[in-house]
Amino acid sequence: MSQDIATIRVTRYRPEKDSKPYFQEYKVPYRHDMVVLDALNYIKAEMDGSLTYRWSCRMGVCGSCGANIDGEPKLTCASFLHDFKGRTITVEPMANFPVVKDLVVDMEDFMEKLVKIKPWIIREKETLPEQGEYKQSAQELERYSQFSSCINCMLCYAACPIYGLNEKFLGPAATALAYRYIEDSRDQGKDVRFPIVHEMEGVWECTLVGECSVVCPKGVDPMLAIQKTKILGATNAIKSILMPRGGR
Amino acid sequence: MGDNKRYPELKRRLSPGWWTASRHYAMYMIREWTSLFVALYSLVFIYGLSLWAMGSRADFLNFLKNPAIIGFSLVALVFTMYHAVTWFYLLGAISPIKIGRSKTKPWQALVLNLVLLVIVSYLAIWLLILR
Repeated sequence: MSQDIATIRVTRYRPEKDSKPYFQEYKVPYRHDMVVLDALNYIKAEMDGSLTYRWSCRMGVCGSCGANIDGEPKLTCASFLHDFKGRTITVEPMANFPVVKDLVVDMEDFMEKLVKIKPWIIREKETLPEQGEYKQSAQELERYSQFSSCINCMLCYAACPIYGLNEKFLGPAATALAYRYIEDSRDQGKDVRFPIVHEMEGVWECTLVGECSVVCPKGVDPMLAIQKTKILGATNAIKSILMPRGGR
Repeated sequence: MGDNKRYPELKRRLSPGWWTASRHYAMYMIREWTSLFVALYSLVFIYGLSLWAMGSRADFLNFLKNPAIIGFSLVALVFTMYHAVTWFYLLGAISPIKIGRSKTKPWQALVLNLVLLVIVSYLAIWLLILR
């Protein structure tokens, strides 16, 4: 089988040596079934062991290997080299995040946001497992199931200019996850979660660029989750004005 | 022994021209800018109405017939239509209506809202001018 050669331009940034990032070009032989991550692994194994990047599962499940490929946030494990045939492929660290080294970004901010929205089922009163499970119908599951497919790859944050301009913005994935629990019929934590998502830097910061939903590799629609959360918040506010004591 | 020193991270900021980086971002930015024309046209229209309120309907109509105002109105119409079309589409994407087991598509909301827009616009024109 004949082998093609891919030209890959990778961002290098070694904070102990470099004051500024720069591009380094590699020529990688590839087969039809190879992805950008395979090329990075080839570079690291055969050409330059100092190249640093994150990866784990190689199959679009772990969400570790995100990068900006030709300017677009993508999973490197899901981007085939043959799709870029005849062009130089530019691989940069995911946009909007601080860079630790080469393609590795600092995920701390996202991790804090993820915990902040309390991504677990909150009950007013927990019951013991012996007392039975919290039941849910297929229709109830359908209300949130797409939002539970998030793999925390952070591509949506790399695609979001609002986050790029204001890092305090809660952002797409964290809100999608918050909405996943808000819409879960077993959850009773609305009163706890609502103030978090409706902060100044919460959902109201979003101006519907919509790119988060375009780049999501798992078909999650964070833009939808954010707007639905806005609608819920607005209707709740109106309800509390019209029916200060009731309405629950 | 390893080097435990933490090196400074590379902070990155979006340049003012970030929206030129992709077609999608540019379309978004144009959508946002069109609201400027919506606002400007509202001001012009409110001024026209004030002429009517303080004078007569003829004052209002003469103001609207001014070539500069007609020119501006045409430009504003184009931008307002772009604004309306993009937002009607988004409305359909955000709030699909469930009919039986299926959900409405964004383009259906777009068409329905455009039809409503034409009807409401005609009513407004009839009420203000044709009547």
